[in-house]
Amino acid sequence: MTPYAAIFYLLSGIILAATAMAVTRRKPVHAVLYLVVAFLGTAALFFLLGAPFLAAFMVIIYVGAIMVLFLFVIMLFQPSLRELGRLPQWGPAALLGVAFLAVAVVMVLKDPGSGMVLQGAGVKPRDFGHFVFDRYWLAVEIVSILLLVALVAVIQVGRKRGEDSAGAEEE
Amino acid sequence: MTSWLQDPSLAATLATWLPFISFLLILIFTREHRRLSGGIAVAAVAGSLAGALFLLIRHWGDAQPIQYSARWVVAGSLSIPFGYLLDAVSLTMLFLVAGISLLVQVYSLGYMAGDSGFSRYFAFQSLFAWAMMNLSISLATLQLYAFWELVGLSSYLLIGFWYERFSATQAGKKAFVMTRLGDVSFFIGLLLVLLHIGNSGIPEMNSPEAVARMDPGLLTLAALLIFGGIVGKSAQFPLMTWLPDAMEGPTPVSALLHSATMVAAGVFLFARLFPFLSRSADAMTVFLAIGTVSMLLASTMAIVSRDIKRVWAYSTISQLGLMIMGLAAGSLFAGGFHLTTHAAFKALLFLCSGVWVHRYGTNDVYEISGRGGRRLKIPMVCLVIAAAALSGLPPFSGFFSKEIILAALAGLKNPLWLAAGLIGAFLTSYYAFRLVFIILSPREEVREESGHHEGDAAYWVMGVPLLILAGVTLMLGFAVTPLREFLAGSTVHPGGNDGWLFYISTGLAALGVGVAWFEFGRRAAPRIGFVERIAPLRELFAQRWYLDHLYQWFVHIVIDRVLSRGCTRNEDRVINEAIDGFCRFTLDSGRVFAFLQSGKVRYNLMVMFGVLVLVALYFLFA
Amino acid sequence: MSPMIVPLGHVFVLAGVIFSMGLLCLVAHRNLIMTLVGVEVMMNASLIVFVAASLRWRLMEGQAFMLFILAVAAAEVSVGLALVFSLYRRTGSIDPDTYDILKW
Repeated sequence: MTPYAAIFYLLSGIILAATAMAVTRRKPVHAVLYLVVAFLGTAALFFLLGAPFLAAFMVIIYVGAIMVLFLFVIMLFQPSLRELGRLPQWGPAALLGVAFLAVAVVMVLKDPGSGMVLQGAGVKPRDFGHFVFDRYWLAVEIVSILLLVALVAVIQVGRKRGEDSAGAEEE
Repeated sequence: MTSWLQDPSLAATLATWLPFISFLLILIFTREHRRLSGGIAVAAVAGSLAGALFLLIRHWGDAQPIQYSARWVVAGSLSIPFGYLLDAVSLTMLFLVAGISLLVQVYSLGYMAGDSGFSRYFAFQSLFAWAMMNLSISLATLQLYAFWELVGLSSYLLIGFWYERFSATQAGKKAFVMTRLGDVSFFIGLLLVLLHIGNSGIPEMNSPEAVARMDPGLLTLAALLIFGGIVGKSAQFPLMTWLPDAMEGPTPVSALLHSATMVAAGVFLFARLFPFLSRSADAMTVFLAIGTVSMLLASTMAIVSRDIKRVWAYSTISQLGLMIMGLAAGSLFAGGFHLTTHAAFKALLFLCSGVWVHRYGTNDVYEISGRGGRRLKIPMVCLVIAAAALSGLPPFSGFFSKEIILAALAGLKNPLWLAAGLIGAFLTSYYAFRLVFIILSPREEVREESGHHEGDAAYWVMGVPLLILAGVTLMLGFAVTPLREFLAGSTVHPGGNDGWLFYISTGLAALGVGVAWFEFGRRAAPRIGFVERIAPLRELFAQRWYLDHLYQWFVHIVIDRVLSRGCTRNEDRVINEAIDGFCRFTLDSGRVFAFLQSGKVRYNLMVMFGVLVLVALYFLFA
Repeated sequence: MSPMIVPLGHVFVLAGVIFSMGLLCLVAHRNLIMTLVGVEVMMNASLIVFVAASLRWRLMEGQAFMLFILAVAAAEVSVGLALVFSLYRRTGSIDPDTYDILKW
């Protein structure tokens, strides 16, 4: 067992534990916080898998922006809704999850290429940047348009009833 | 040129289709012009008569019948031709129909003068003439059936001619429906024959080879079914009650259709298919029985009737029964000859009665006599002549034809038929002369204005046909021998016991006259018949042996209550319920499955992922 | 010279487990926020798969794609949360079981 393997198993344990906690919390705020931990673990995993730039992205964008957004929106709800009862009707869902997991594991293990051991490597940010803007600049542009569209959509959806476009904007 | 003239096709076609042209012309063009319509119709029938006469004379002694056939339907092994067949029977019938049609139409010019439906009347008369003539010379049974139906149609139209009268429309309907019942059985019989013989031509049907192809049971069945049509059309028992009601039509119609020609179509059919029908002895016995029953029943009904036209209607039924008896006894000539003579004297009887009906507006014989009917000389004399012919008194034509029938009956093994025939002869002369004497010797003489209108055109228009028919009645009897040779070919029936039969039948006829004179004709006569004294009997005969009641009961109870209500109930409870139940089942099952639609997003998502799992499984193992 | 880490299968199994946990969260909660949390977890799993695959085949496309997935996730989360909030404002509840007007 190489040290990298040990790190991998440790990190995966953290991610799994954090995700499990996130999924089973009653209060959404707690769930989101555990999810933050899971994402941080994932970022570290990316480091291990040779994508340090992406690890930074995970932390900044995913945890820093998206999870914070989650928290903001949760705060907008009434406190009564932030409490949930016991996880109701988890039977069918559990069954589904287990089935899915079983199938996925079997699939993965049966595949002959899954035995291959990953070799460590690293990608420098500069090379990564060159790569993206060299080959996939169109996708980048489209993604930016997508974000614009999402912005417009959020503004429109988030309006209170009875407001017109010339009125004060709500976020 | 001469060969074209001598070709019978032209004459045959012209003779039979001229009235159709007249029918169309009158209906389309000349409905407003009465005299033109009448003229067209009469001219057409006169042309037909000329053609018929020409054909009769030309082909009098032909050994082989002339036939022309064209293929109409050929389907596999079946062949249905159409065309014409000119043999002795059809030529006689053609001439008879044309002649009497002409006389009746001329008579109608006077009878129907002033009626608002004058043109329509002549159109329908032309239609009938066309149909009847074509029926006479039809080659194939299906062609004959078509014209059979057409004749029934024109009968319906003419019976209900005065359609504003409810009773007339009812009578027309009754006639049509009852004959239709007979026609159904006729058609089934025809189809049976067609299927087994493969060809519906009449000569083929009559030939021995064709008959050999059908086994006897089937032959009897077909014969009986075909006879069903004859029962309907010729008003025999049990389909006989339409004919008295058919007297609602104008008297010339009764004279033409319901005495001389249309009802004789049944007997004509019998004569036509005589070789075919006579092969089944059982069927012939049945025919004999039906003819006898009709004859006797109708005679009893005629004894008690007050309506002059009804009496002659019952008499027609009775005489047709007699004709059928003659044919069923095995003698084609007997039935055929009586058909011819009967046409003449029965038409004469009706036309004479028509004069009185037209003049006094009533059918009741007592009233006619009371108003001085006997003072109209031509009808009175002709009536006596015709009644004598009907009764079978020598030397009138009826005597000759009746003798021949009785001789044929005497040739049968069972004396019952002959006895029935003799009783029938007695009853016939009794009721005929009952009427004659009622008119001849009235009780109270009501002074009518005695204008005889001899100078009137209408008088002579109606009178001349009467005279012509009377002459025929007188003369026809003496044409026995040439007619026998013509109609029956070379076979001549042996005389046998002509002697004592002659005396008995004539004696019975005279007895009938005597009884009638005794009860009605004498100065001090009680004017009530011996049957009329017995009240139950009188009721029985007057109600037509309750046949109509039977039919009404049958239609109301059996058909209406049982059959149609049963069918309605079946439709409501079974068919509709089944379909409704099916719909309800669909709705309910839909409701059952609708619980799957809970509208909750989570379940949809679960299902989506479940399907994903299944797809993964598929890719795993496939 | 490059160090060995783990077999690829193990990484995939990890991702699979994370995915199924996200699935569980998605369908079992009666709270729309948790639904979206489940979506995030599932996306996390997919990111891991992509990066691991990129390392296995030594192609940078995997990592580039991870970038795009991230951007899409951001857009989707924001729009989703806006929708949830709008629903909350309309009906006062974020229990998806109450939105059943499509029921028969």
